[in-house]
Amino acid sequence: MVMKKRAAIGLVAALTVSLSSSVGALAQEITLQWQATALSEAQYEPIWKDMVAAFEAEHPDVRIEPIMVPRADNWTKFVTSAQAGAAPCIVSVPIPSAAYNGYLMSVQDMWDSEPESYKSVWAQNAFGALTFEGELYGLPHYAGIYGEVYNRSLLEAAGLDPEALPTTWEEYLEWAKALTGEDHWATTVLAGPTDTTTRVLLSWIYSNGGRAFNEDLTEATFAKDPKSLEAIKFYLSLASEHGVAAPGPATLNYNEQTILFAQEKIATMRNAYWGLAKVLGDNPDLADDLLVAAPPANSEDAMSVATLTTVSISANCEYPEQAWEFIKFMNEPEWAVRMVSAANWMPLRTDLLDRPEVAGDPIVQTYLEIGANSLTIPLPTPAWEQIASKDVVEAVQRALQEPDRVEEIFTDLDALVTQRLNDI
Amino acid sequence: MTSDQDTTSDQAGTVPAWTSRGASRSSRPWRGAGLKRERWLGYYFLLPAILLTTALIATPLARAFWTSLHRTRGLRSDFVGLDNYVYLLTTAEFWESLRVSAVFTTVCVFFHMLLGLGLALMLNKVVFARTLLRVGLLAPWIVAPSLGAIIWVWLLEPQFGVVNYMLSSIGLIERYQTWLGTPELALASVMIVDIWRGTPFVMLLLLAGLQGIPRDQYEAATIDGASAWQQFRFITLPNLRYLLVVASTLDVIYTMRHFDVIAVMTAGGPIGATEVLPVLIYNTAFTQNNFGRASAIGILLLGVILIFAIFYLRATQPGKARED
Amino acid sequence: MQESPGIRLLRWIVLFAALIIMLFPIYWMVNTALKPSTQVFESPPTFFSTAWSLDAFFALFESRPIGRYFLNSLVVAGGTTVLSVVLASFAAYGLTRFPVRIEPLIILALLFIKMLPEALLVVPFYQLIADVRMLNSYLSLVLVYSSFALPFAIWMLIGFFRVIPRDLDEAGIMDGASRLQTFWLVVLPLARPGLVAVAMFTFLTAWNAYLWSLVLTTDPSMYVLPVGIATLKGEYQVHWNELMAAAVIAIVPVLAIYTVLERYLVAGITAGAVKG
Repeated sequence: MVMKKRAAIGLVAALTVSLSSSVGALAQEITLQWQATALSEAQYEPIWKDMVAAFEAEHPDVRIEPIMVPRADNWTKFVTSAQAGAAPCIVSVPIPSAAYNGYLMSVQDMWDSEPESYKSVWAQNAFGALTFEGELYGLPHYAGIYGEVYNRSLLEAAGLDPEALPTTWEEYLEWAKALTGEDHWATTVLAGPTDTTTRVLLSWIYSNGGRAFNEDLTEATFAKDPKSLEAIKFYLSLASEHGVAAPGPATLNYNEQTILFAQEKIATMRNAYWGLAKVLGDNPDLADDLLVAAPPANSEDAMSVATLTTVSISANCEYPEQAWEFIKFMNEPEWAVRMVSAANWMPLRTDLLDRPEVAGDPIVQTYLEIGANSLTIPLPTPAWEQIASKDVVEAVQRALQEPDRVEEIFTDLDALVTQRLNDI
Repeated sequence: MTSDQDTTSDQAGTVPAWTSRGASRSSRPWRGAGLKRERWLGYYFLLPAILLTTALIATPLARAFWTSLHRTRGLRSDFVGLDNYVYLLTTAEFWESLRVSAVFTTVCVFFHMLLGLGLALMLNKVVFARTLLRVGLLAPWIVAPSLGAIIWVWLLEPQFGVVNYMLSSIGLIERYQTWLGTPELALASVMIVDIWRGTPFVMLLLLAGLQGIPRDQYEAATIDGASAWQQFRFITLPNLRYLLVVASTLDVIYTMRHFDVIAVMTAGGPIGATEVLPVLIYNTAFTQNNFGRASAIGILLLGVILIFAIFYLRATQPGKARED
Repeated sequence: MQESPGIRLLRWIVLFAALIIMLFPIYWMVNTALKPSTQVFESPPTFFSTAWSLDAFFALFESRPIGRYFLNSLVVAGGTTVLSVVLASFAAYGLTRFPVRIEPLIILALLFIKMLPEALLVVPFYQLIADVRMLNSYLSLVLVYSSFALPFAIWMLIGFFRVIPRDLDEAGIMDGASRLQTFWLVVLPLARPGLVAVAMFTFLTAWNAYLWSLVLTTDPSMYVLPVGIATLKGEYQVHWNELMAAAVIAIVPVLAIYTVLERYLVAGITAGAVKG
């Protein structure tokens, strides 16, 4: 018996020794973990590797530990670790939700102590999405601006003039009918289970001068605002009534949409600049065929959608000063410019606009023009994730199933989302 | 319950425990046979396993239960007693998810058992290429569920997926279907994937059971002129009965709590058509950021599964079970 | 028992049809993994291709430390197997050889653990491991996986140990051996087929687990294969051929183990394990 006990203790001890990994071996050095889905993107990888190396060279006492994370699990992993007070110091997560839950650290003081010359280089309209209850919770990292992308060869094959891209809904619908055939379609209506569905829907609503939310974010107006409802009906009719959209909207996300475009199954898509990089990754032959224009509009005050990816500091971070340094560093012009050309990510610093990489690229310029007339998402409500990735998606899926009940379905959505906005 | 068996004369591996059950359940020589000084020895042998599982499972479970009594907002939480449970039991969301779970589990387990039994019966007679057939048929179960689901997403891809191509070229479907895109098709698709993945395990258990049925029972029956059906009915089924109960109950429990396949393939959509309870827990915790309510769903799911566990225990516990 | 050749033939046809259906997804995985990027989205898809190549595998090894993921999986699954089999053997021996009053309670607890929904425990589990500062260690993964693998392992071994005659134990003790020696020298060798079967189950469980290792490792060099593979699904790119190549790498080892040890598996379960 005694022998057995000893054996058991010995076993546990042996396991402990042999299996423990060498965590915490480095002393004196500050390690900052950096978690972001962008890290897994192939086209960004060489840039961030150079950037981290450069930062570590400048700050020998700081080591950056990048945490690559499966795209779908970014939030899960962050929340789990934040709940235990062990979240990575530097994170890219939706600011309103994370700040509301107490997972992020305010950077207001650090921002305030920056010189005016630094603060003034930022596009000010982006900062709404960075602020929660009056405090700043991060810096922008990059933006995506939604335009309409066309395949020139397919337009020409359908007898359409690529130099005169549609500017109104009527023109767009006419083109769409011309571009649809037996096994190919004009475009996609997106209803897959990600917030891309919501982004694109909002871009249609905005293109009609409609609004899905009231000014102070206390009410949803998808159906209540007549212009919004009109836009939703028109957009969904592309799939239902007119049949000019690829089948199976509920399975279509960003990835499927770009694949269809790369395979020339669809001729136009509503997408951000990074969608072009994805298309060319899938089918390099399209390099000379890509055209971009502002989304077709149906109103004088039409706008588009710009999304913002941000970088923040976790509430439990032990070295906020160093983290702040790194966040500023990753937005330095050198890296931002490379991100524009390699990863097709839009910069948010106005001092970059004159750089040749930005000023000399007509597609980038087109996107920036669209961006100047865009509304930014995510909206500053902690319920945003749930609204954008679940509530709106389900409404779109339902409305596609029952095209006659669109108004009813989106009226229900208004009620549900309004409740979410106020129930916090 | 386990030491009620008395099979002292059998060499290991020749006669499976379950075929001999009922033979000598009245005698319990072992209970009295332990030496006085050895009375506590059994516990010492058990101690490491108990310590490990208690430390690693009991604490988190207690914490999860505690969370279920709170309204949580990130790192803050307020004690609300049973509010989360009341909310769940009085709103449609939970019941709808329970319904999806019930449909999913019933259909999947039915086919797991039916196909598993059929395959096991056929495999049992095979000698040639035995390993190939066994491993080949087991393969879907060997593949990690998270990877199997990714493979199926690719097979079912609406435009470029091979399933649409094959079904339309043999004329079974007229136009390409979006398998994961409509509520009915999505539920059917995830069920097919789960049947593909879960059948081999049942097959394996039943095959092991069949292998344990003594050959001489069949030989005697053949001499008596019993037909194949009669042999199945009067030898195979009674011998396999216990294992059928074990396999189906285990399978219900596994299927009920299964998460990976649906999480990867549909994440519960479209419109909640595939949102089984484990997926609802995940979505509530991580999409709605409501850990209190998610924990409450988890505890309720545990309650549902517990009902099956009790059924299982009653069915397998020799002392309480009815005679075969 | 004689069977007509017709029935035999029918059985073969049905079995091979089933085999083809069950294996088709796996074949398609291999087929896709071997395609160059340009052929992945071909319509109609090709079932065989002269252009098959290992390009996707090379690309994969360049973009991700697959070797490291593989090693991590191997250490974690191996460690879990060893720990679980050892602890389960002790426990099963204790339960089958000695009067243990709380036995029904233990059986119920084992079953209970098997039922726990993973999603319920993700956060509390992480808190526990973070509290004891064991994130990113093989040990934490081994312990967590073991606690989930143990119930099934004990459960199978109980049935198995029960059919090993206790006369043998007693004979050993008469000869002056201690309980532990008897356990080690007499019972374990006899239980070998069952131990192998249990080890195979445990290894598979640990090798395939996703959610736990996802949250319990934050250092990418500690990722196990399923998690590492999931990072291939980026927001902007999904290379199906590389994803499938990674799946091939994850599946081949367990498939090989099961092929080599298949006979232990069925024999092991047959020999008494499923009785709980």
